[in-house]
Amino acid sequence: MSEPLVHIQNLTLQYQSKVVLKDLNWVINHGENWLLSGASGSGKTSLAKIIAGLQPSIGTVKINFNTQSNLPAKALYVESWYQFKNVEGVANFYYQQRYTSQQTKDILTVNAELMAYGKENNLDFSEVEILLNAFGFSALKNSQLIELSSGEHKKLQLVKALWLKPHLLIIDQPYTGLDAASRQNLNNLLDEVTKFGVQLILICSDAQIELPKSINHFAEIKETQFVELNSRQMMSVLPERPMRELPNFLKIPPPYSSDTIVKMIDINISYGEKQVLKNINWHVKAGEKWLLQGPNGSGKSTLLSLINGDHPQSYANTLYLFGNKRGSGESIWDIKQHIGLISPEFHWYFDASSTVWQSIASGLYDTVGLFQTLPYSKSAQVDELIEFFGLTENKNELLSTLPLGKQRLVLLARTIIKNPELLILDEPCQGLDQSQTTYFNHLVDELCSNGVTLIYVGHFESALPECLEKRIVLENGEIKSVGTLLESCITEEEILIN
Amino acid sequence: MANYFNTLPLREKLNQLGVCDFMDSSEFLDGVSAVKGKKLVIVGCGAQGLNQGLNLRDSGLDVSYTLRKEAIENKRDSWKNATENNFAVGTYEELIPNADVVVNLTPDKQHTSVVTSIMPLMKEGATLMYSHGFNIVEEGMQIRKDLTVIMVAPKCPGSEVRAEYVRGFGVPTLIAVHPENDPQGKGLAQAKAYCVGTGGHKAGVLKSSFVAEVKSDLMGEQTILCGLLQTGSILSFDKMIEKGIDAGYASKLVQYGVEVITEALKQGGITAMMDRLNNIAKIKAFEVSEELKTIMRPLFQKHQDDIMSGEFSRIMMEDWANGDKNLLAWRAETGETAFEKTPAGDVKIGDQEYFDNYTLMVAFVRAGVELAFETMVDAGIKPESAYYESLHETPLIANTIARKKLFEMNRVISDTAEYGCYLFDQACKPLLSDFMKKVDTDLVGKNFNEGKDGAVDNRALIAVNDALRSHQVEVVGAELRKAMTAMKSIKTV
Repeated sequence: MSEPLVHIQNLTLQYQSKVVLKDLNWVINHGENWLLSGASGSGKTSLAKIIAGLQPSIGTVKINFNTQSNLPAKALYVESWYQFKNVEGVANFYYQQRYTSQQTKDILTVNAELMAYGKENNLDFSEVEILLNAFGFSALKNSQLIELSSGEHKKLQLVKALWLKPHLLIIDQPYTGLDAASRQNLNNLLDEVTKFGVQLILICSDAQIELPKSINHFAEIKETQFVELNSRQMMSVLPERPMRELPNFLKIPPPYSSDTIVKMIDINISYGEKQVLKNINWHVKAGEKWLLQGPNGSGKSTLLSLINGDHPQSYANTLYLFGNKRGSGESIWDIKQHIGLISPEFHWYFDASSTVWQSIASGLYDTVGLFQTLPYSKSAQVDELIEFFGLTENKNELLSTLPLGKQRLVLLARTIIKNPELLILDEPCQGLDQSQTTYFNHLVDELCSNGVTLIYVGHFESALPECLEKRIVLENGEIKSVGTLLESCITEEEILIN
Repeated sequence: MANYFNTLPLREKLNQLGVCDFMDSSEFLDGVSAVKGKKLVIVGCGAQGLNQGLNLRDSGLDVSYTLRKEAIENKRDSWKNATENNFAVGTYEELIPNADVVVNLTPDKQHTSVVTSIMPLMKEGATLMYSHGFNIVEEGMQIRKDLTVIMVAPKCPGSEVRAEYVRGFGVPTLIAVHPENDPQGKGLAQAKAYCVGTGGHKAGVLKSSFVAEVKSDLMGEQTILCGLLQTGSILSFDKMIEKGIDAGYASKLVQYGVEVITEALKQGGITAMMDRLNNIAKIKAFEVSEELKTIMRPLFQKHQDDIMSGEFSRIMMEDWANGDKNLLAWRAETGETAFEKTPAGDVKIGDQEYFDNYTLMVAFVRAGVELAFETMVDAGIKPESAYYESLHETPLIANTIARKKLFEMNRVISDTAEYGCYLFDQACKPLLSDFMKKVDTDLVGKNFNEGKDGAVDNRALIAVNDALRSHQVEVVGAELRKAMTAMKSIKTV
């Protein structure tokens, strides 16, 4: 038992010509549970993958599993994003495919996925029920994997990891996309598994979020080095990014074609027996700034997909977009040209083989990937926006080679490049570090001063832009409350739900 | 009904075989206007039917589905596909009489019965659309003279048609107008507009004819696309087992290898695929594929001749009439091969290893693609058409093998392709038996470069590179691929 669980010596990692980690040393003794933080792009994810044996590096990484323990001798890494495959092993799904009903049953259900996983790892099936209940997942057991939202996929990965109880459990961004209640449950469950001997490494840069009690060591990666911290309060405060002046083309008010941006009348959406939206009536007028909230699975993404022209069932509902009735001969591209949208799912399915420049430019045509040549005036605007976001040195790099936080900034730039009438920002700051989040929220405030209409999805405790003035809350597919932000009284109960 | 092609004088045969025009994007500037506001009624709601319909509706067009009464009453999958996505569904009697364009997306085998039942219901001057010309060309279906007959054929599975559309792109598409049925001269405008509605105009559109489409499609699918991939896979697997290679490894190498190898083909043609090999392996693969071309050329020619003369469709339709006796026997046989029954082992095979340890398949693919292309061009089919039906589709079929092996490939492809594939495979295996006796594990199962000095003679290498790069399929391919570079790769591993 004297050997540490993990012993890393002189680990160096280089990406192309950039040194990411240099001569890093880290000892994890038995009984220790770590929090690892660091700015976006500092190398946290790479380090985690190296420990789990998923990525090569220079230097030594020794893992000594406790031979006395009956836990699986395994270092399991849970990605912050997860790409599932269908039963034929194909991972080619596309954005919003989950809203299209198709009878080909070649994608596993949650239940089938768990059965296969449990069998493969010899797990006790009675335990998984407890986990599913804790995450409010039981109702989703018969859903196909493709029908799950990004938050629900995250939960499924966590359920599997907690069920397996590997000797070393590394979770990258455990809390992204989870509502407050789920976070609390996750922390309790993590504390629970440590009692069996599971050791944790949680990767998380948010200084505010509540952690499991069992976390007893803190560290961060700072300028290629591993730095142990005495407490969480010692985490480096990232310097605030200086705001530059907004490019002129974004200061011009968007040309509204109608006063009514969205008008929903008694909207109902269901898949077979399962009703996901019930009697939704909602009116968004030009220039309004809305906050949309609700727990995981409450129907937020489905609601937004109706506005973005992505939902097949919108043709059977009474819905007006930008003054026109949906299904009156318009194409989805006619709708999308009014909208700039970003969401975790959109990011997930985005074309990773585009460069930064192409990704941003594609926002002008609402395409995923750039298939057109830009006129000079437009390409100059792309350059200007890239400069504004401080991405000039990355502009010819492939999007997929950038750290997640930076990728997200690129997609945010894509969202605003055409100065749209309606901005839909669905958890836009997920994956950003704190300085990036503050910077981005300021930016939203500034952008909104030109009169753009905004629908913003964000969990309660996260930082929000100040310009928000109205709020709609969904629960189980129904509108729970709707009104101005000031009026809506925040009860204890609501904080818990959100 | 008489074979349409055989009723034509030679001059007209050559004329229709030679329709081949890679269309400029400016030809699509009118968008969907030629079918805007018209009633589009799709017959059938399988993978192509549903996904094309979703795209058309999202392009602002009026789409509904018509199904057989039993499919509606029994709430079959096709009925669920349509209604759950909020499309109107009705019987032939309810929807066909008001349709401006009837889109026939049922399997080939049903065409005669479907078209016979819907034609009397169609209104004067309407349009009938196909996505494959077999019924018109080989079965000689006669369409009422007031009706316009067009074809729009996306060259990808239905799911890709949808996936590429929603990201603002499309899949390569072939369009055609039947010269016997274009009374108002509106056929081409409508075919183009329909193509825009599915997003196909963004990825390269080839204007073809019903005749050229059928004669090249049949040839491609039964030789290189399905036939040779099946023969090559089975022979490779059996050889590895004979030579003592681990069965799980062999199964995995064969199942996924063809997909990895042909992904290079899709990106950069035969050249890119061969360039993935080390120089010594490349020269060897070149020599082996030259030998394969010599052995298999007569078989490829026989298939092309039988397709041109109508002999192929005659015997296939005979089998249809005979309750698919041959087809079912061959299908069962394919399900029983050792390759099919050995699950892929839990071993990791790297991307490059698929090339280095499966050089034989690289040689098979090069030989098959070039032979199919050359044979088609020799028979009067234009190089662009020949490219689509040989090189372009190979990676798509390879992907179905990676999913669930040959049985799955044969389940997914059309019924004509499946029949032709078995026919080819039955004849090709004995033809290659002497050749296969000489093959050892350096070509299949083990790394070709292992234990060899990698040096090559400059002149030999230059000659091989020249031969590969200057082949007509490469020259034509480079031009056509420019239009589709933006397509995402389909990947299983």
